[in-house]
Amino acid sequence: MAIFRPEDEERVRELFAELERPVELLVAHGPEETPLPGARDIDFGAQTERIVRGLAELSDIVSIRVEEEPAGFERYPAVSVQPEGRDVGVRYYGLPWGYELGSLIGAVLEAGRSESSLRPESLERLAALDRDLTIDVFVTPT
Amino acid sequence: MKCALASPRIRAAGIESTEFPALAEEMEVYAVPRIVVNGVPQWDGAVPERVFLDRVLAPAFE
Repeated sequence: MAIFRPEDEERVRELFAELERPVELLVAHGPEETPLPGARDIDFGAQTERIVRGLAELSDIVSIRVEEEPAGFERYPAVSVQPEGRDVGVRYYGLPWGYELGSLIGAVLEAGRSESSLRPESLERLAALDRDLTIDVFVTPT
Repeated sequence: MKCALASPRIRAAGIESTEFPALAEEMEVYAVPRIVVNGVPQWDGAVPERVFLDRVLAPAFE
């Protein structure tokens, strides 16, 4: 089953054509939390892998790697977006569908840029950061 | 995500709330996007880049 409508798939393909460096998507499988009662009967891990595989098919330089419980992951399923295969601390926890899929595509595009799309003044402020920060963004698919 | 890609000091995660209900409840996720920094809930809603940095780089996180 395709993950995009044909016109959307073409659009993503076009966006991925602008990538300046390879991006690897590491899919991490492991024990999954029990979803809320009444939640859809979905195999989140399998669906996550299917979606990421679908994304990787849209560009020669977007690749997928699948691992069982790799180090550095707190919950599963997860996707790590890795510029040139380097883990820079970008994670998506949960099935990336709906709004999250757009967000994952955005992360691939940013990871595929040779320079950040942040404003120069923002980059200066980040460069001056002298402590570690963990930023979690809680979202829903709709 | 852009911040994490731009700074080795920053890690960033997007978390699907409905799939991790225990964690979402702990972080009191009632509206999205909900931003949590260093494990402490901060605010809800998307903000411009400059405001985002003002907030996450605030001295409170030193």
